[in-house]
Amino acid sequence: MKTHYKTLMLSHFVKHKVKSILTLFMVLLTVAASAQSRTITGKVTDGESGESLPGVTVLIKGTTTGAITDFDGNYQLEADEDAVISFSFVGYEDQEIPVGSQSVINPVMRISISELEEIVVVGYGEQDKADVTGVIVAVDAKDFNKGAIVSPEALLSGKVAGVQIKQGTGEPGGGMSITIRGGSTFGALGGNNAPLFVVDGVLVQNANHSPGGFSGGRNPLNFLNPNDIENITVLKDASAAAIYGSRGSNGVVIITTKSGSALQKPKLVYDGYFSMAEMAGEYDMLTGDELRNLVQANDPSLLERMGNANTNWMDEVLRPAMGQNHYLSFTSGIDNGGVRLSLGYQNIEGIIKNSNTERISVSFKYDQSFYDDQIKVSANVNSALTKDRFNDGIIGGAQTYDPTQPVYDTTNTELGGFFEYPVMGQGPSNPVSSLLQSQDFGEYMRNLGNFKIEYKPKFLPGLSASANLGVDAYNGDRKRYLPTTLRSQARQDTLAGELRFENMSRFNPTFTGILGYEKEIESIKSKINVQVGHEVQDFNSDYYGYRAYGLTTDEFDFYSAPYAKEVEPISSNQENRLVSYFGRINYSFDDKYLLTLNLRRDGSSKFGPENQFGWFPSMALGWRLLDENFMDFATGIFSDLKVRVGYGVTGNQEIANYQYLASYSLSAQTAMVQMGDTYYNTLRPNGYNSFIKWEETTSTNIGVDFGVLQGRISGSVEVYRKSTSDLLASVSVPALSNLTNRLLSNSASLQNQGIELQVNTVVLDNRDWSWNVSFNASYNENKVTGYSKTEPDDFEGYPVGGIMGGVGNTIQMLRLGEATRSFYVYETIKGEDGNPVYGADEFGNPRDPMELYVDQNGDGQISSEDLIIYKKPDPSVIFGLTSFTSYKNFDLNFTLRANLGQHIYNNMASAYGYMDNVRGVGPNVVNLHKSVLQTGYVTEQYYSDAYIEDASFLRVDNVTLGYNINTLPNMKVRFYGTLQNPLLFTKYTGLDPEVFGGIDRNPYPKSRTAVLGLNVTF
Amino acid sequence: MGTAVVMTSCTDVEVLPRTTSTENNILENELAYKQFLAKLYAGYSTSGQSGPAGSGDIGGIDEGFSQYLRQYWQLQELPTEEAVISWSDGTLFTLNLQTWDDQNEFVAGLYYRIFYQVGLANEFLRAASDSKLDERGFTDEQKAEVATYRTEARFIRAFSLWHALDMFGNVPFATEADPVGTIPGQVDRQFLFDFIEQELNEIESELPDAGTNEYGRADKAALWTLQAKLYLNAEVYTGEAHWTECITACKKVIESGAFEIESNYQLNFMADNHTSKEIIFAATFDGLYTRTWGGTTYLVNASIGGSMTPTDYGVTGGWWGLRATSGLVDLFPVGDNRALFWTDGQTKEISEISEFTNGYAVPKYVNITSTGENGSHQTHPDTDFPFFRLADVYLMYAEAVVRGGTGGDVATATGYVNELRERAYGDASGNILSGELTADFILDERGRELYWEGHRRTDLIRFKQFTENGIWPWKGGVAAGEETSTHFNLYPIPSTDLLTNTKLTQNEGY
Repeated sequence: MKTHYKTLMLSHFVKHKVKSILTLFMVLLTVAASAQSRTITGKVTDGESGESLPGVTVLIKGTTTGAITDFDGNYQLEADEDAVISFSFVGYEDQEIPVGSQSVINPVMRISISELEEIVVVGYGEQDKADVTGVIVAVDAKDFNKGAIVSPEALLSGKVAGVQIKQGTGEPGGGMSITIRGGSTFGALGGNNAPLFVVDGVLVQNANHSPGGFSGGRNPLNFLNPNDIENITVLKDASAAAIYGSRGSNGVVIITTKSGSALQKPKLVYDGYFSMAEMAGEYDMLTGDELRNLVQANDPSLLERMGNANTNWMDEVLRPAMGQNHYLSFTSGIDNGGVRLSLGYQNIEGIIKNSNTERISVSFKYDQSFYDDQIKVSANVNSALTKDRFNDGIIGGAQTYDPTQPVYDTTNTELGGFFEYPVMGQGPSNPVSSLLQSQDFGEYMRNLGNFKIEYKPKFLPGLSASANLGVDAYNGDRKRYLPTTLRSQARQDTLAGELRFENMSRFNPTFTGILGYEKEIESIKSKINVQVGHEVQDFNSDYYGYRAYGLTTDEFDFYSAPYAKEVEPISSNQENRLVSYFGRINYSFDDKYLLTLNLRRDGSSKFGPENQFGWFPSMALGWRLLDENFMDFATGIFSDLKVRVGYGVTGNQEIANYQYLASYSLSAQTAMVQMGDTYYNTLRPNGYNSFIKWEETTSTNIGVDFGVLQGRISGSVEVYRKSTSDLLASVSVPALSNLTNRLLSNSASLQNQGIELQVNTVVLDNRDWSWNVSFNASYNENKVTGYSKTEPDDFEGYPVGGIMGGVGNTIQMLRLGEATRSFYVYETIKGEDGNPVYGADEFGNPRDPMELYVDQNGDGQISSEDLIIYKKPDPSVIFGLTSFTSYKNFDLNFTLRANLGQHIYNNMASAYGYMDNVRGVGPNVVNLHKSVLQTGYVTEQYYSDAYIEDASFLRVDNVTLGYNINTLPNMKVRFYGTLQNPLLFTKYTGLDPEVFGGIDRNPYPKSRTAVLGLNVTF
Repeated sequence: MGTAVVMTSCTDVEVLPRTTSTENNILENELAYKQFLAKLYAGYSTSGQSGPAGSGDIGGIDEGFSQYLRQYWQLQELPTEEAVISWSDGTLFTLNLQTWDDQNEFVAGLYYRIFYQVGLANEFLRAASDSKLDERGFTDEQKAEVATYRTEARFIRAFSLWHALDMFGNVPFATEADPVGTIPGQVDRQFLFDFIEQELNEIESELPDAGTNEYGRADKAALWTLQAKLYLNAEVYTGEAHWTECITACKKVIESGAFEIESNYQLNFMADNHTSKEIIFAATFDGLYTRTWGGTTYLVNASIGGSMTPTDYGVTGGWWGLRATSGLVDLFPVGDNRALFWTDGQTKEISEISEFTNGYAVPKYVNITSTGENGSHQTHPDTDFPFFRLADVYLMYAEAVVRGGTGGDVATATGYVNELRERAYGDASGNILSGELTADFILDERGRELYWEGHRRTDLIRFKQFTENGIWPWKGGVAAGEETSTHFNLYPIPSTDLLTNTKLTQNEGY
């Protein structure tokens, strides 16, 4: 990363056009050599461990001549007597040694503690870390989370202050939510809090593609193999993100994949692991015996509905899940460039039977310079075929199905031999039957390709021009087959049996052109760097499919459509476009005073002609305080001290297409209406808001970068405030003023503010021992600062946060001045023991609500007017800690995470934990949540604050122990074992304290995983 | 910015939809206008463009819950003695007890449905104006066809405005002269009454004759019945009675000869009720083509529970929701076959509303045809919902006569009532004498004949029984029932609309 590799051999330059990436790859593998002068040889070693260092760049200073050390640290090159040879390697301090009369030079490299010389990724480019003025945190591959990881986001969890990465479900490869600095949008009202992802320079669409409410895969980023990723950089504040303009409001995550480099010897790496997972935590449902006893005591008339079994339905649907991952990569330097090719295979089972994710991934990356470095070409492709099997809809059923009934009933051959209640009566269907008989597959191919050509003419040093063409192409299918032998299908009688097939494809090309100029004017101690760019991005999505039902046979499963009584076709197309112009000026004076100015103008087709374009400016100042003369006294203490101030405006346009346009929708075949003897599809004029415009986030950040003890401790402190106005949200509009009652409008405003601390320390770096610890902590508070312009101050707020239980019930509120999505509940009256009053009286009858809850308005009854704001789902404080220790050939690393001040509505307890729930709607009984034993609730008490639980936690995310063998010739071997999610400390009584939206309702349970792996480098 | 030049051809920021239509590419023939008109009728049947749910017309409430007929029915029936519902969804329960407030999402559901429907009709009238049709090059023949659609759109608007007048009173108001984006002002009941009256008078001659329009579409008889409803309740709406006008309207329906009382009472509520000669105007449903989680899907399924076998009613599931209070049961003497109660396993009195087995179940609407066949789908019935049927017109005639309207006579009125009672008893044993035909008798008779058809709240208010006077179990939130405040005679303007439209003021008492 740190050095711009220069090339040495121009004589073998191969001029050609790129017709096929593969032939190009073959041709360029021919490495050439040429010679002059004296031969210098040597071996480069690590000053601490004495180990040889492969991959060190060895260059004759002031030229492009050089070499790379081989596997054993050896190098060889030709040099004149008066030459100076420089040795550089990532993570080590550079060394320069004059050749003189020597013919053998064996440099000893020292680990670089100071990170100041690093080059960091910024929007549309790179920058010396010392010159950075925005809030940018980079995480390199070596610091990524370890384990059986499917989704790239998971690599970053706990590593960056103020970035909350939540896996709300235990599905393999399931969706993750990333929230940077509290998020700037009302996720709950249809907004999207996810940051912008940029993969190798291409801005990718990260929303799940489910045009029919049925997506091809789980997490759209899963196409990126974590093994291929070299670095993930997070741009947190507006001054860093404003260059991405309209999409920077929630931060930007830049993913850079690994590449080969010039002079590098061919290297082959194999990495493989096997994993085994089991459910973490326990479900709190009653056992068969417990339920029988409770029914016996409270409602013995129900005993006749119950069986004699003791079935643990969750055990029936769960399994120990195996996984495996194999990965092979080949990296090599070529003439003035490098190539990299990788192949990956992963298959991770879910802990629920019949669910898994499988991925075959290929990546190719190539870069090469021509014409004496005047032209640089790079190309890369990341492709993956992901196959998912889904089976997550049975969790609710498995928890509530009567545990006194058996799983199988061999006499019930019509329904596959499962125990079932009568088909045409009431009652739920056997969850194990559904699990084993339904087939639900997703399969999609996603390809992200990028071709870039950069021109740096010799006639005008400092000038550069680049053109970048990126393509994000996606094609996926989802198919689900429900046989007639499922009870839920059999209930459809003549229309039993269903096949649903959907094809979804996306094609998003991006063109980016950038013109840059940099110049150092020593006479006025100034460095200036100017960039202007133009970008066009098109998003195109197609969707086709059908639903066929009423199958006359189960013989042909996914090919049953011809045997269906009814077939409904579906299709749609969506397109939108972003056209952008942007510019940036970096200016530094005396290497002490830094200024960055960004300006972007974005035009989005999502807005009407008058509001299509928006301006997004930002400005940042940096002051390298330590370089001032008056700070000389401190240079013994500090190795770095820089103050940064940034201000910027970013936008958000993540809304559905065509919202500004008066449009019509034709109804489906099932929403027609009869006129005479004919059914007519209906034509609906849709509601629209021709005035919608960009949502804007204005943010201010003050930060200090510091390093002390020669950089042994380094880090940064940030203080920020983000205010979002013209929030795009679906809000109520006056009845009769539009063709709907809720319309996407620029309405409310929101504010996030907080403090972040990020510290990296080198505790030990002896010959045998090394120990690095990174720590981050952040505090964030958010609140609603306004609604739409027309609402008076006493507006109660927008109810959000739908729960299980009833229809349309919500548990959260967006209320002015309160934290977003605060819970909105009844305050329970506490008994002498400090617990909420027991819900049943001595006869088992439900208590009057007035005995249970505080009558806040004193009107003598408990009504919605007595609901109060109580606690919030988002954490106030987030901690992350990563430790990496090595002792001789062993290494040990682990990641800890903690969230404080977050709360969860335990919807599992509220929906299943009251006595009346046992009386099923039909011939069955329903299992109860154990909380009923404490609360004593007889009837449903969804709004009781007893269900709001403190969900603060400390989690050991992963622990890895590795053993390295470095003594084999031409080969390095590493064995490692990882435990994922081994330990969790929390007061939360539910399954896991990390759930989406703060409402715990039937999530796919999370797992605890053990991984055993092997890594071999040739 | 040399690179910009390369891409200028595709830098147009405007991207028009390919599979979403705009007025300019879709409204090009009379079929499109008919499909648009179909949406106006579908406004009473479906809840969105997907069926049964998806792409909903209104938001902020579960799509199925918000369905027009479902909410209309619930607001007309649940606060009366005719029905209770056991579910604890949101504020649904307060409808049973007459304890709702202006944050009730079910009240809001109907409110927004009504004005969605009015707004849709206004948009239709704008899009189908003669000048627009000329712009699109329509022939005179096509224009004449679309002109009929316009008349029907005005009828539909009047019909929904009547719901607004009856249930909310003082409401926002806009016509086709107010384009999308205009914040509507508020009008009172007198204004609405006058507007509806005038609209109906204007379009009367333009609607097809009674019984001559396509099934599902409005004709003159639908309009006359709406006039009869408007005049029957005029005293409630404006303080001034219009009994005579009510009689006139009823006579037009009856004398048109297009309708007759079916010999089988239950045919009006069965899967083949589109064949009933008694139904004047209905919301249509179909198991295959017109699906919703409201409408008769709700009425059939929610009425089933306890020991009932769902397949006996043509569906596979029961929702364990709706029952009657003893106040309805007690209206029926032995021998009246209109009492379609399920009593097995049910108690007559209700000690717990949330318990389905408390109170008799009422499988009045079924997804079985008169010949015993199942409907086309076993969740979504084919059964249509009769908004207006001849029996109602008979009873309105009788009431207007008894209350002093002119143009009718008691003997004819008694004859009409006895025609209904003969059907109910199977013979003349239940017939009454003209002297027995009192206003109070008619209120009870309306309960017996028209229960669960969405009339009760309006009827009770006209008889001053809905809040003051009338007592039935659980009225006012107590098991024995008690009188409630008269402000519940009108539903509140939902708080969300009060907050977003500052031109509105709340109905008195909320």
